[in-house]
Amino acid sequence: MVMTLFVLVGILIWCEASSGATPLESLIPRKDLPKEWTLIHGPQIYNKKSLFEHINGQAELFLQYGFQKSVFAIYQNKERKENQIEADIYDMGNVVQAFGVFSRFRNEDRPGGFGLDSYLDDHTALFYKSKYFVLLYATESNPDSLRQFSKLISSKILDSSPPLKVLSYFPKNGLKSGSIQYFPEGLLGHKFLKKGFRATYVDDEKESHLFLSVFKDPQEATNALKVYKEDLSKKGKISSANLIPSGIKALKGEDPYQGKVMVLQKGFYLLGVIGFEKEENAENRLAEFVKNVK
Amino acid sequence: MLSEKMGRRKFMKNMSSAFLGVATGHLLGSLPFARAEKKPVLEYRTLGKTGLKVTTVSMGVMNCSDPAVLLRAFDLGINFYDTADCYMRGRNEEMVGQTFKGKRDKILIQTKVHAHDEKKMRASVEKSLRRLQTDHIDVLVWHGHSSPEEVSDPNLFEFMSKMKKEGKVRFTGFSTHSHMASLLREAAKSNFHDVALVSYNFTHSKDLKEAVALASQSGIGIVAMKTKAGGYKKAKMGGLSPHQAALKYVLMDQSVSCAVPGVTTIEQIDECAGVMGTSLSKKNLEELKQYQSFLQGRICTLCGGCVGECPYGVARGDLLRTVMYHDGYQNDRLVEEVLEQRQLRQNTKLCSECSSCSVICRRGLDMKAQIRMAEEVLVHLPAAGKQFGVKV
Repeated sequence: MVMTLFVLVGILIWCEASSGATPLESLIPRKDLPKEWTLIHGPQIYNKKSLFEHINGQAELFLQYGFQKSVFAIYQNKERKENQIEADIYDMGNVVQAFGVFSRFRNEDRPGGFGLDSYLDDHTALFYKSKYFVLLYATESNPDSLRQFSKLISSKILDSSPPLKVLSYFPKNGLKSGSIQYFPEGLLGHKFLKKGFRATYVDDEKESHLFLSVFKDPQEATNALKVYKEDLSKKGKISSANLIPSGIKALKGEDPYQGKVMVLQKGFYLLGVIGFEKEENAENRLAEFVKNVK
Repeated sequence: MLSEKMGRRKFMKNMSSAFLGVATGHLLGSLPFARAEKKPVLEYRTLGKTGLKVTTVSMGVMNCSDPAVLLRAFDLGINFYDTADCYMRGRNEEMVGQTFKGKRDKILIQTKVHAHDEKKMRASVEKSLRRLQTDHIDVLVWHGHSSPEEVSDPNLFEFMSKMKKEGKVRFTGFSTHSHMASLLREAAKSNFHDVALVSYNFTHSKDLKEAVALASQSGIGIVAMKTKAGGYKKAKMGGLSPHQAALKYVLMDQSVSCAVPGVTTIEQIDECAGVMGTSLSKKNLEELKQYQSFLQGRICTLCGGCVGECPYGVARGDLLRTVMYHDGYQNDRLVEEVLEQRQLRQNTKLCSECSSCSVICRRGLDMKAQIRMAEEVLVHLPAAGKQFGVKV
């Protein structure tokens, strides 16, 4: 009986280890804390059903981004009890969705030097690494401790996957730092564009955007381009053409809410530039973007 | 790929030619800009004792992916927008403020504050005002009350009164996701609250409906959220889409002043706005009720969010649709129709043999459990099963 139990426990441990999965609770620092801090609450786990209890309606956004579960904890400064740091670690299922939530939360480019990308201000630290999105909040201005905790948590996430390759497709010239965002649905506010990335560019203080819409296959991308064309023809202005005989399709038009737009298909992507003023700049940027997309 | 074939210069030349309308052949030519569209018939109700006239279909901004969606809502005539201080660490409020710059006097904004000490709450309100680019908030609600004690907390009310007196806030209230009926009853006893933001849809109980009515009678303006309950029957009912029917169901309750469905895209806000000026028949409502039990955490809303995520190309939506038709609608004819149109046998086989599923449901559905149910559906359909070679 004891032997059977021993074997079972061994199998369980082996399964856990071989799966490569890090138990979420273990990412919460406990014994290895900075010396002036102590854990006073948690780790508390939330799942898809209970997340609403923790963050109210905002849970919807996380579910939209593929939320799996999260762990929450509160740390307290030993000398000043009102000085606390709250830590939320969200398992978002994969690195794209983790980046996606991170990209929706950060206000501007203020990297803190942890995770695959991060944001740090006096009260908040955000970062993503692997499938995890991490959010730390300090009740009092405390960027140093936030950085310390962030680095500690980041070091516990053992997956060392590189940043998303797709982020490197966006041309650097004119790119507003920290502006690339991922949307799991409704890119540019359009259902038919589905999921994808959007980046902001600044030329002469005027903003425009590049976007990359991702589809299941080239046919789906072609269909979406067709729907886009129909939508613009109903609500905006359009001129469209098959640009070259090889079947690469594109359209140009004017969206009633977003301004001028140029879109073209490349494989299972739609790539576009929108909201621009100077056509030449926009065309150059789009051309570079197309070249970068592999 | 493109650049390899034609090079940047040639690409630019072609793009420019086509875009400037010089290329021959396939140009469609310019069409009149912003064509006149049929706009919804706007319905207004009074938001309880606030006296504010709000469009019955209003908008929950939290999931909104782009300012274009807000502008579309504005163009449709929608005048009440719900956001919160904490949504995306304030970025949601920023989007509302930026988008409605110059239009502030034409819209009503509801945002939220969390219970803290006065200093922090005051700072939160000030931040909201800055982000919203306004000098006043139309409706400020406590975020996520869950106990009757919170609803009647005099300290919180005192703070709200100060905000009103200082002109920062016009009306106040609370939002709740849990114990809603008891909270509404408690709120109805006092004169504290002008507005209550509650999760309210066709799956909710008679008890909540009665509590909503009681609160409404006491003068509290009821704003309904989570109105769609995730959606349901795909086939249209009475000329309305599923989401429209669910929204209309909520608005048929005259105790509800307005609904703030969470909207992500322009298409969704168009769909929601189309509910105003329509009605559901009694038969439709009975049908709606019948599906209530089926919905509880089980249904795929066919949102399409998982499309393309399976590396083997399995169309999960079709599989899950069979479950919905069989289990929810009890209509195997519809299942057979799906089976005839799609390669479900291969899909089911692929899924059952797959050791790890990378497909994630953004609505929180247990995908593995759903696939198991789909397999069971096929087993219980011998004719269709044999036709597609499924073991029965």
